[in-house]
Amino acid sequence: MSDRIASDQSVPSEVFDPEAPDAVPAASVETPTADRHRRWRLIDLWATVGPLAVFIILFALVSILRPAFLGGGGLSIVATQCTAILLVALGQCLVLNVGSIDLSNAAIALFSAILLAKTIGPAGAGGLVLVVVLGAAIGALNGFLVSFFQVPSFALTLGTLGILQTASLIISDKTTVYAAKSGLLTPMFGSAIGGLVSAFWTAVIIAIVLWAMLRFTTLGQSMTAVGLNETGALFSGIRTRAMKIAAFMFSGLLASIAGIMIIAQAGSASSTGLGSDLLLPGITAAIVGGTAITGGITNPINVVFGALTVTLIPVGTAAIGIPSEAQSLVYGLVIIIAVALTISRKRVGVVK
Amino acid sequence: MTKAVTETDSAQAGTPALKLTGITKRFGSVTAVNNVSLEIRRNQVIGLIGENGAGKSTLLKILSGLYEPDAGVMEVHGSAVKFRRPQDAVAAGFGVVHQEQSLLTNLSVAENIAMNALSSKDNATRGGWYRWGQLNKEAEGILAKVGATVDPKAIVGDLSFVDRQMVEIARALRVDEMTGTPPIVILDEPTSVLERNETAILEREIAELKHVGSVIFVSHRLDEVRRICDRIIVMRSGEIVADRATEGVTEDELFQLMIGHAATAKKHDVQARQSGEALLDVSGLSAKGKFKDVSFALPPGHCLAIVGTIGSGREELVRALFGAEPFDSGTITYRGKRLQSWSAVQATRAGIGYVPAERKTEGMVGGLNGPDNMAIARTGKKFFVNPWRERKAGAGWFDTMDVRPRDTRLHLHRFSGGNQQKVVMAKWLKSETLQLLILDHPLRGLDPGAAETVNEKIRGARDGGTAVVLLADTLEEALEMGDTILVMRDGEITASFDLTVDTPTTLDLLEKMV
Repeated sequence: MSDRIASDQSVPSEVFDPEAPDAVPAASVETPTADRHRRWRLIDLWATVGPLAVFIILFALVSILRPAFLGGGGLSIVATQCTAILLVALGQCLVLNVGSIDLSNAAIALFSAILLAKTIGPAGAGGLVLVVVLGAAIGALNGFLVSFFQVPSFALTLGTLGILQTASLIISDKTTVYAAKSGLLTPMFGSAIGGLVSAFWTAVIIAIVLWAMLRFTTLGQSMTAVGLNETGALFSGIRTRAMKIAAFMFSGLLASIAGIMIIAQAGSASSTGLGSDLLLPGITAAIVGGTAITGGITNPINVVFGALTVTLIPVGTAAIGIPSEAQSLVYGLVIIIAVALTISRKRVGVVK
Repeated sequence: MTKAVTETDSAQAGTPALKLTGITKRFGSVTAVNNVSLEIRRNQVIGLIGENGAGKSTLLKILSGLYEPDAGVMEVHGSAVKFRRPQDAVAAGFGVVHQEQSLLTNLSVAENIAMNALSSKDNATRGGWYRWGQLNKEAEGILAKVGATVDPKAIVGDLSFVDRQMVEIARALRVDEMTGTPPIVILDEPTSVLERNETAILEREIAELKHVGSVIFVSHRLDEVRRICDRIIVMRSGEIVADRATEGVTEDELFQLMIGHAATAKKHDVQARQSGEALLDVSGLSAKGKFKDVSFALPPGHCLAIVGTIGSGREELVRALFGAEPFDSGTITYRGKRLQSWSAVQATRAGIGYVPAERKTEGMVGGLNGPDNMAIARTGKKFFVNPWRERKAGAGWFDTMDVRPRDTRLHLHRFSGGNQQKVVMAKWLKSETLQLLILDHPLRGLDPGAAETVNEKIRGARDGGTAVVLLADTLEEALEMGDTILVMRDGEITASFDLTVDTPTTLDLLEKMV
C-alpha cells in the first residue's frame, strides 16, 4: 500500500481482498445462506454429540465382539481406570482453551500422589489440603511464567515436568511409597453409584462444574476469549494474563486431585507405578473430547467421553483378545480415527 | 555504465524507457486505474503523487508484475511486455523499493543484495554455493555505484533506516544489472519513515541513480517531489489528471490537482451538547520515535479528529491513550485524575472504549458469536452471567445497529466486515459507563450503507455526552465529524482547528500534514 494520505487502505485493495472470503453477504441471498447455515448447524451438532457417539460406538463394538465385556462390568472397569486420566484431561482442556498446553500436569499428579503417600499418615486430611494447595501453586507458577515472561507454554511446562520428576524421585527415594491406611479415601473406590466408582462420579461432577464455569461466568467466557484471540480479548479489557494463570492453576489443582485418586486407588505411588503415564492419554482425552488445540473451543462434559474412549481402547482390545503385541497398533489406529472424528475443526483452517 | 546502455543510447535514443498506453485495472465494480497513458524517458526522475485511493499503488503493482492490467499496452525500451509474475518485471529491468522494507534483517548486506538474483547465471551464487569473497566484492561494487558507504558484511538489522533503504536500492539495481538493461527503479514512499537529514542522503542517491536509469518516485512530501523530480504526474480517482514539468509548478497547484475540489468544513454547532470540564487532558505526551510533546483537551460530548499521514504518530498516540502502548513522558489526565500506569484493562474499566483499525486481529474475537463479542468488554465486577439474557440483549443491539444477517449464533468471523464493525461498535456503545470512545479508522473497509450506520451511532454517542477521538479514513470525514481537528506530522502537532470558529478546507489540513 502506498496510498496513505489519510487512510491506510486504498479502495482497490478492499475490493480485491474482501473482508472475509466466505463472509455472509450483507444483503443476504436466501438459499445459499440457508444452506450454509444448515451445514454449520450440523457441524455444531456433531461437536456437541460426537465424543459421546464415538464412545458408544466403540463400546458397542467391544460388547458385540465379546458379550462378556458388557456382563462382566466392562463399563465399571473403564470408569475406574479412566478417573485419573479424566481429571488430568479436564485441567488440560482448560489450558488448551486459553491457547496454551500443560505438559507438566501428569507430573504434578504423580508428585502429589507420592507427597500424599508420605503425608497422609502423619497429617491426615492436612495432607490432602497440602497436595491440593501445592498442586494449584505449581500450576499458577507455570501460568505466571508463561504469561509474564512470554515463555512458550510447551517449553516451560516441559521444564517443569523435568523438575517435578526429579522432585518425585527424591522424595520417594526411588522406591514405591506406601500410604498409611486412612479412612479418608476409601469411599472413592470403595463405594459405587450405578455400578461406577464414586471417584469417577466425583470427576464427572467436577467436569459439570467446569462446564458451568465456562458457560455461566465471566471468568470462563474471558478464558475462552483469550484462547480465540488474545489481542482482541486484551483490547476488550480482559485481564488476559490473569486468565492464563487461572487456567494453569486449575490444571495443577485438578492434577493434584488426580494424584489423590491414585493413592485412593492403589494405596501407593512410585515414579513408575500407577499414574506414571497420564500425560499423553490426558492430552488425547481432551482432544477426543472435542477440545481444539488452537484454543478457545472445549466442552468439559465431552472430555468425560474423551477420557472414557481413551481408556476403553486398551481395555477393550485386551478383552476382545487381540494379541498383546498388536494392542499398541490397534490403540494407535483407533486413536487416529477417534481424533479425526471428534477434533474440533470449527474455526481452524490450518490444523497444527 | 553497462554495455547495454551505450548500445541503446546510440541505437534508439528517442525510445522512452517506459511507455504505457491505456492501462486499465478493475476490481469488481471499482476501476482502480483508468486508461492511464504515460511516457518516461531514460535518465529521468518522475514524481508520482495522488491522494489516497488515487490508484498509485495499483499502478505500481502493475509495473512490478503483481497485477495484470485488464487493458492497455506496456512498452519497455520500445518493446511490448506482459508481466505475469514479479520475476517478469525484474527481467524487464524494474527494480522496486517497497514502502515496507523487504530486507531480511538477520542476514548480511551482501547476502540481501544477492538474494533476489540467486540464479545459475550469477557467479557468486552459481550452483547454490555461496562464494563469499566474490559475493562481498560484488556487493561492494554495487554499493559504491549508488554512493553508499555500507559495509557489505554488516548485518542488515544493525543498519540505520536510510542505510537499509540504500541496500534496497542496491539490490534493485543489481537485479537490473544482471539483466543488462538500463533499470527503471520504483521508489514507493521511500522518505515517509526517514528523518529529515536522512532524506537529504536519499535525495543525493536518487540524483546518482538518474545517471544509470529512470526513477519513479512516489511521495507525499510535495516539497521533496519538487526538489527531486524532473516531471510530476498527478493521479486522482484512477486517472492521470496532470503531467507537468517541475519548473513552474507550485505546491499549491499540486495540492489542488491532487484533491480536485477542496471540501470545506461547515461550522459546527455544539451549543446543544453537554460540555464543561475537560474529560481528557493530555499534556506534553511523548513516546520516543513515535510522537512528541502532544497536548490537547477534550470535553465530554465533543469529537476530536486527528489527521496525519502514515508515520505521523497518530495511531501510536491513540493507542497510548487506551493503554495499549506505553508513553515515555508527559501526562494524561482523565476525569480529573492523572494516570500513572495505564493498561487496556484499566482503561476499559474507566469507561474508555477502543475500536482498533485492525478489526479482525485486535477488535473482535471471531470465534465467538455477536452477543458474546458484545459481552466480553466488562466494566463491572459481575461474576455470573446469564447467556440467555445476553443473547437477548445482543439481539436487541443487532436490531439497533442493523447487523445483517440477524443471526446471534453465527460466529462473528463469518459476517462481512461492515457487520463485524457494527458489533464491535455495539460492544462499547452498550456499556453504561462509556465516557470516551477512541476510534481508529472506524469506517475502514465498510460499504456506504454500513458506514452511515456506524457514523450515525458515533454521532448519537457524542450527543449523549461521550467524548470521541477519531482517526478518520478521509479528510472529508474528519471535517464532517470533528469539532476540533488536530493535524500531526512526524509525531508532532502541526496545526489545530476549532471547527466552531474555523472552517478549514481539506487543502488547509493537507498543507500541515506533508
